[in-house]
Amino acid sequence: MLTDSVSFFIPAAFAFLLLALTLALIHLARSRNINDRIVAMDLISTITMGFIMVYGVLVKRSLYFDVAIVISLIAFIGTVAVSTYLKQRQS
Amino acid sequence: MILDEILIFSGAAFILISAIGVLRFGDPLSRMHATTKASSFGILLIIIGVCLSFDHWLVYVKALLIIVFIYLTAPLAAHAIARSIHPEEGKDQEKEA
Repeated sequence: MLTDSVSFFIPAAFAFLLLALTLALIHLARSRNINDRIVAMDLISTITMGFIMVYGVLVKRSLYFDVAIVISLIAFIGTVAVSTYLKQRQS
Repeated sequence: MILDEILIFSGAAFILISAIGVLRFGDPLSRMHATTKASSFGILLIIIGVCLSFDHWLVYVKALLIIVFIYLTAPLAAHAIARSIHPEEGKDQEKEA
């Protein structure tokens, strides 16, 4: 059984992260400004990292930690690249 | 262990609060204030909870690595976003300093 020794807290953490992801996607779809979209994209990368790590706890594999490391690297480079492009375009 | 699950739960709650802040705040700089600090602290709590739950030395080393990396790069990403919102503001103070 997969959810053998999992108490109340892990599914509640999944629910919170899923709700946060939904709110960030709603903001990403509704916002007119591109700066708001970069902020929402940064938040979505953080939520994805948390989601993958909590999933690794659920299936009891520490392999998913490396996925979170790679996501944090790519999210940082993506955020800096998009905002530098916007700054160059404005000036 | 109940401590690691409580840490993971509170980290997810902090990230949810940061997402609510993104939806509720008015302008992009306030939204950046909500996402940068609250979600960094939430992911810190989640990482500590996950590495306590695995309890293996390699996971502790990777957790230390990723915490240091996140706390080095989150201010840099926030600075880049803020600079893309207001490209000229604050340049004079930087030149004087």
